[in-house]
Amino acid sequence: MDDYKSFYQAWFDKLFSYVMRMTGDYDLSGDIVQESFTRYFQHYGRDGRNQALLYTIARNFLYDHWRKLKHREAVDTVDDIYSRNPEDVVMVREEYKRVIAAFGKLEDHERDILSLVLSGDLSYRDVATIVGTSEANIKVKIHRTRLKLKKILQEDQ
Amino acid sequence: MMNRYLISMFIDDELGLDDKIAFVRNVHEHEQYKNETVELLEQEKILRSDVMEPFPQPEIIRKKRKVIRLFRPAAFVAAAAVLVMFALLFLKGPVEQTMIPYRFVIYQPDVARAEITGSFTDWNSVLMQKVGSSGYWAITLDIPRGEHRFTYILEGEKRIPDPTIMTRERDDFGGENSILSLTRET
Repeated sequence: MDDYKSFYQAWFDKLFSYVMRMTGDYDLSGDIVQESFTRYFQHYGRDGRNQALLYTIARNFLYDHWRKLKHREAVDTVDDIYSRNPEDVVMVREEYKRVIAAFGKLEDHERDILSLVLSGDLSYRDVATIVGTSEANIKVKIHRTRLKLKKILQEDQ
Repeated sequence: MMNRYLISMFIDDELGLDDKIAFVRNVHEHEQYKNETVELLEQEKILRSDVMEPFPQPEIIRKKRKVIRLFRPAAFVAAAAVLVMFALLFLKGPVEQTMIPYRFVIYQPDVARAEITGSFTDWNSVLMQKVGSSGYWAITLDIPRGEHRFTYILEGEKRIPDPTIMTRERDDFGGENSILSLTRET
């Protein structure tokens, strides 16, 4: 139980921040983080503490959710869902809302890898495993994405 | 040739020794490379700052403990006196259960009323106090050690579990209760 608690406490905020950057949706992020920890401990808890696996589970939940949503409501594209939320979320720090909005302007795969790198102690190798690409590819993409985000944030000022 | 990806690798602690040599050379020899590094580091401070408003963890308000050193005669006598008092109390009847003041906090800026109900209130609702204009509601209750179940009630009807406590169970009303475990360590 103590192990469970300490892993949960160590990774809750980081995973929540990752899902928030990905979705911009506070309630959805809370649900996904909760489900991810539950799934992790139910199925993989005995195999030590593997944060890359935890992120993979959260990411799968996220993509499942988007897939279902797209099937159900053709009007609600991922971009629609993303862009209408950040300003409504009272829990997001005022200064961070601009960043969340800028994240919304990135391509899905760019938002994905940058959010993963920012969210904690995941190495490029971990991120490459999670998104299913090579480490070399992550090196290139992460820097391009940072430069792109810099441009977006400068244009918004 | 300048390798700009080294800047991100530097930010993310991914540089090997050869990369570090190349990176330092680039920073020293190319003004633009140095500027880009600094700008991206500044941006990184913003990106890595907290996404959410800080959410205060429920905290135990501890009374200050005085350190008693046994080699001090006065302290030794005081400790002995305390032991005698405990022994007397024990002889007179059962020792009262230790109550711990526990502060419950929830962030709900948009509600006009927040209450808490739980096994430690016999499931009676207790009104929480608004903490200034911060959006937080708080209350400190004396509760015994052990496992407790509780939930918050917003606007007199909506029941929500404590978002900072992972352990939960379904209640009989289709909602969830948080499970708070107050052990010796907490």
